Amino acid sequence: MKTIKQIILVVLLMSGFTSCFEIDNYDEPKETLQGKIVAKNTGAPIQTQTGSEGIRIKILEYSWSDNPTPYYFNCIQDGTFNNTKIFKGNYNIEPLGAFVPLLIKDASGAIVKDETKTVDINGTTKLTFEVEPFLNIEWVGEPVKNANGTVTAQVKVTRGTDHQDYQKNLTDIYLFVSNNSYAGNNNYISNYSTKETYSGNAGNSVLGATVSITTKALPTDRVFFLRVGARIDVMTDGIQRYNYSTIQSVDLR
Amino acid sequence: MKRNKYIVAALLFAGLHFQSCVNIEIEPINRVKDTEIFGSETGLFTYRSQMYCELPIEDFKYAHDKLFNDHNCTKSINSLAGESISRDVSGADTEKVGYWEEAYTLIRRANYFIEHLPEYEYIHGPERIKHLLGEAYFIRAYTCFALAKRYGGIPIVQRVLQYPEESIEDLQLPRNSEEETWDAIAADFDYAIANMDETGLRGTANKYVAAAYKSRAMLYAGCIARYNTITLRDNRNTLVCGIPASRANDYFKQSYEAAKIMEGKYSLYLKSWKADDKEAQYKNFLEIFSQNKAADHSEIIFVKDFNEPESVSSWDAYHVPLQGKGPNGYSQETNPTLDFVELFDGIDKDAKGKFANLDASGHYRYFDNTMEPFQNAEPRLRATVIFPGDIWKSMVIEIRRGIYTGPITGGISRFLAENATTAYTSTQVYKDNKLILSADANQKPYEISPGIFMNPAGLTGTFNSGTTCLTGFSLRKLLDESVPTELVRERYCTTSWIDMRYAEVLLNRAEAACELFIAGEGNAYRTDAYNCIREIRQRAGADPLNDEVGINMDVVRNERKKELAFEHKAWWDMRRWRTIEKEQNTQVYRIIMPFYIKENGKYIFDVRLDEKNKKYTFNTKWYYQEIPSSEISKNPNIIQNPGY
Repeated sequence: MKTIKQIILVVLLMSGFTSCFEIDNYDEPKETLQGKIVAKNTGAPIQTQTGSEGIRIKILEYSWSDNPTPYYFNCIQDGTFNNTKIFKGNYNIEPLGAFVPLLIKDASGAIVKDETKTVDINGTTKLTFEVEPFLNIEWVGEPVKNANGTVTAQVKVTRGTDHQDYQKNLTDIYLFVSNNSYAGNNNYISNYSTKETYSGNAGNSVLGATVSITTKALPTDRVFFLRVGARIDVMTDGIQRYNYSTIQSVDLR
Repeated sequence: MKRNKYIVAALLFAGLHFQSCVNIEIEPINRVKDTEIFGSETGLFTYRSQMYCELPIEDFKYAHDKLFNDHNCTKSINSLAGESISRDVSGADTEKVGYWEEAYTLIRRANYFIEHLPEYEYIHGPERIKHLLGEAYFIRAYTCFALAKRYGGIPIVQRVLQYPEESIEDLQLPRNSEEETWDAIAADFDYAIANMDETGLRGTANKYVAAAYKSRAMLYAGCIARYNTITLRDNRNTLVCGIPASRANDYFKQSYEAAKIMEGKYSLYLKSWKADDKEAQYKNFLEIFSQNKAADHSEIIFVKDFNEPESVSSWDAYHVPLQGKGPNGYSQETNPTLDFVELFDGIDKDAKGKFANLDASGHYRYFDNTMEPFQNAEPRLRATVIFPGDIWKSMVIEIRRGIYTGPITGGISRFLAENATTAYTSTQVYKDNKLILSADANQKPYEISPGIFMNPAGLTGTFNSGTTCLTGFSLRKLLDESVPTELVRERYCTTSWIDMRYAEVLLNRAEAACELFIAGEGNAYRTDAYNCIREIRQRAGADPLNDEVGINMDVVRNERKKELAFEHKAWWDMRRWRTIEKEQNTQVYRIIMPFYIKENGKYIFDVRLDEKNKKYTFNTKWYYQEIPSSEISKNPNIIQNPGY
């Protein structure tokens, strides 16, 4: 009886292990796709916010299907991207963000422009996309601390493209204040940040001029990160996305 | 033993061979057969009841986080549209649950009905069959409409898909274009309009019900064609999101014509209405909803009945004012905003059209009581919201934020700056102990004069925290005033949901006409829009419009917001107008807070941004909602909407 019990025990234990011996029939994804999104005329990287409402990269794998389900991943806020877990294969890559789309179709659906890239990804693939941002946002000097605890930032917003479909009205300029360096429309302190909203074409007169925006009164015990976003009345990929300035920190201690 | 073996062998042999002679081609008697369903009136009633039950009606049991037929809808889309704010809704949002699988189940039921019912014409006769088929077409159109307004173009399925006869690959249907989808909806409604009887059983469709919904659906389609800017094509180059702008006028005309069919068949409810009698007009507007079970209600076009015990909702339990709180402990989920209330007539407004709570010098105006600013309000408004101090269920609904004990010489200045979101407890006047507030419903009475005590806040609020009135107003419309408080419980509410009433048809007609007038289709459209709006405003007791020149999109849309408020319409309307992203762009809605003045026994009203600082920002990708990802994994030909 004792031996029988032992045999049963061993068999039961072994049955528990069996699933561990299964081997996946695919290799793990280990190719790398990296690169950057830069402005066509200046070569400067396109600033964006983190997450799917900044710039996101749409990839379509054509290795095994001619109608693949798209796969998306997001850019880093400085306009670069890096994905080290891609399956080996043939891909079409299209960044989507606050710039003139790389793939434009006319009203009948015919392709007017296609600057997306189709590549075989094997090892490390580096790509640079040159785009025309809707808006360029540059700092004019450093943010200035005011006596009442607020901070005033000055920026210049200009159009980044002369494409006639993307000359829509400027709708708002937003000074984002954040506790960390990921300031943007998805990460800001609403009690401190300031938004200038323009209705109709009122915002267009601001383009090219130096705009001052002042935060609400800030606590003086820490470092804040400031960033200015602006957008025009155009939706890319379903969302009215912001163009961004670089990030500046203000030490109020 | 040996003999037994032979017998067994013989029996087995015989058994095997005789068996084949028995006819096994009989239908299983334990299953309900098509003939029993489609061949009898009771069978048909059962089948159709099932379809109507599954219809995606946005009634008392619909909420954006639960979808249809859910008992526990504490939230409502009214609080996404700026009509109200709710402690449970933190800001702009969209539906949290996908509506897809249930829709196609229902579409399949309708398709099965359409395919098989004609085989039973010899039993029901051709006229009856036509009407019944019309019902199935109506149900299919209603369901596709619910899909199209959420997702844009969808796979149009107008037959019973056969699996496993057809392969999975053949059944993985791609999305049709959004234009084809709306056209298919229109065609289904048209079939119903052309073939159905003029009347039907209560709660089911008829010719005019189909026409009313067609007018609603085509208004959607027209707005997408005119105002939508998001487009998406799939790999077959099908325009699954977006409609060519050139189709807009056609859709608006279809909406207009469908609404016009209804003329003379239904009418606005006017039973208790009297000209120049605000009290009668107020009572009359309440009766539109309180008489929801009346058979002779001239305004109800399509109703979903709720009855104890087979179908009940929890609407009253969640939305009554705090003073009407029932045994389950819920209340006050809907707090109408001042922005909404200001749409109406009869309130003292300043040059900007905002409620005039300050005098010329910028100090608070004094009022004798909390009802004084609203004594001349439009009757429709009074029937929609409960004003602070108005009567509801024979109770005075007492809404007061606190007591001001400071000096009043020279007038009282604003407690906080305009557009400030600071809580009252952080204001200087509170720190100076000139503002007496209540932390929650356990109030500590304050001695306003020797021996006379007063609670700082009203019985319904507003307190610093907890369940309380958030805006100064509470909901009146759609609440059943005849139910005693002890029966205001979850799953006890039997108010029937009026999903379509004639007022909406008039508003659809006015909106379509106004769109057509603006598109240059002629002045006659404007005249017609004016007449529709005049009829609505007259019944509501609103100020009459001067003349038809005053008709524009804003007038028509605002009229719609007012008339159909809290009926789960405004949010979808603002979505199809594509205006919600403009209104809800870091928007904080405004509220009105009454304070009692200790010095003179009067009231002041502080107008401010919502103290809870709920910020509304509508994400434009929600115009086309996310298709459930499980559907895309099942069917790679379905392409996801932009931004997800």
